[in-house]
Amino acid sequence: MNPTIIDISLWDLMTVYSLLLMSIGLAHLLKSGQGRDIFWAGLRMFVQLLLVGYVLHLVFALKTALPVLLVLVVMIGFAVQTIGARVQVKMPHFYRVVGTSILFGCGGMTFFFCILVIGLEPWYDPRYLIPLAGMVIGNSMTGASLAVERLNAEFRERREEIETALCLGSSVQLAAAPAVSSAFRAALIPSVNSMAAMGLVFLPGLMTGQILSGTEPLIAVKYQIAIMCVITGSVALTTFLILRLGYRSYFTPYQSLREE
Amino acid sequence: MRQAQPLLVAREVSFSRQAEAGQRLPILQETDLQVDSGEILAVVGPSGSGKSTLLRLFNRLLEPDRGQILLAGQDIRTLPPPLLRTRIPLVAQKPFLFSGTVRNNLQIPARLRRAALPDIEGPEIQEILDLCQVSPSWLDRDAHKLSIGQQQRVCVARSLVGPCQALLLDEPTSALDRPTADQLAQTFHQLARKRGLAMIFVTHDLRIIERCADCVVLLLDGTVVEEGPTDQVLHHPATDAAREFLSSDPMEKRTFAE
Repeated sequence: MNPTIIDISLWDLMTVYSLLLMSIGLAHLLKSGQGRDIFWAGLRMFVQLLLVGYVLHLVFALKTALPVLLVLVVMIGFAVQTIGARVQVKMPHFYRVVGTSILFGCGGMTFFFCILVIGLEPWYDPRYLIPLAGMVIGNSMTGASLAVERLNAEFRERREEIETALCLGSSVQLAAAPAVSSAFRAALIPSVNSMAAMGLVFLPGLMTGQILSGTEPLIAVKYQIAIMCVITGSVALTTFLILRLGYRSYFTPYQSLREE
Repeated sequence: MRQAQPLLVAREVSFSRQAEAGQRLPILQETDLQVDSGEILAVVGPSGSGKSTLLRLFNRLLEPDRGQILLAGQDIRTLPPPLLRTRIPLVAQKPFLFSGTVRNNLQIPARLRRAALPDIEGPEIQEILDLCQVSPSWLDRDAHKLSIGQQQRVCVARSLVGPCQALLLDEPTSALDRPTADQLAQTFHQLARKRGLAMIFVTHDLRIIERCADCVVLLLDGTVVEEGPTDQVLHHPATDAAREFLSSDPMEKRTFAE
């Protein structure tokens, strides 16, 4: 379809892996102690991506909805697990809150774009759905872990303030409002910053990929703009859901702060 | 009209805390307490005796395992917690003021309850400020620039803005120097008498209690070991446990030395 794309042979791959050897050499030279890390990370990358490549190859070939949805569910599962590993102190019902929020936040935004905006035909076309969902979930994952961590820190730091508000007759919603808004802000900063810097410092991955595979740059740019909007929307919605579902878990049913 | 029973009553309340391995650590056992409008009840005891816990049961920052707490004859669990807390505000050990001016802080309770903002210059608030000795000249100052003693006064005044019937005091004088603490104790005394507030005053400062409390309850290891009028409990304690606690208290020794 795209005659311009140059395939990379196995031999070519081995050649670029020599760059990792060089990095290991440099790390060794400076005694940074990362030689082993670079080796294992490089190996993991190779195995993981090769596996993903084969799975995608299979899913593309099957041309049915179920395997595509299965891949998306696995992606969400990994995302939730990654957030769980990153976040030190977990709120009560952590996995339920985060899982639900990612499912609706990322799922909702991805399908909004694929079905309502670009009108994918068939709706589950894995060539679009899987990479787009991957970008959306990946970015929302970062936002979600920032939000969860920030919310927890805010509840620790603002304990006195929240309790004072409760003692003055505040509802839990109002008492938690400053903590919730600060967590939301923290989660959205990376997306907002990357939107504002887009194109100035680097060419984003999606666009680069499309251009490499022969897409007209202007189309690639439009896709990039669209996906950034979808990502920001998804980060905002996922974070909003996590905060809305999550802040209540810091309070008791009789509207006081839970003991630490 | 006088109530058939005291304004605040605790009946056989017990409270335990979650300890490791699913165990419960008892904090309060079958505690009874009562205080009427216009009265100050001091709760004294060493740290860890459960006195702050007891206080926090009254506005449901904590929930007892067993027992009942009544406000004007009504079980506090029948009131929505925000309403309960406006009727029985709590003043904490360390004053906490929100950012902004003193005026802003006095309006915050109304904001948090989504009620109409009170007129700070109106007679109602002015009377509160007067009783709490909050000077009108502080109103437009940054609340965090006041001294700790002044901040605590603003906190007391702030908690009185609203339909307040009783006041919970959690060592409100312990962050203050002696003269400031004494003045604040005087203020609590005035507030109880002039506004008919019931107060539960948790402290370990026996000197302050002598200045303002009507009755004293001595709490040791989560149990009331002695209770009665202030003078009787402090100077003629009936139990050995009370005598031991009172004589071991450094504050008390200083009082004798004066």
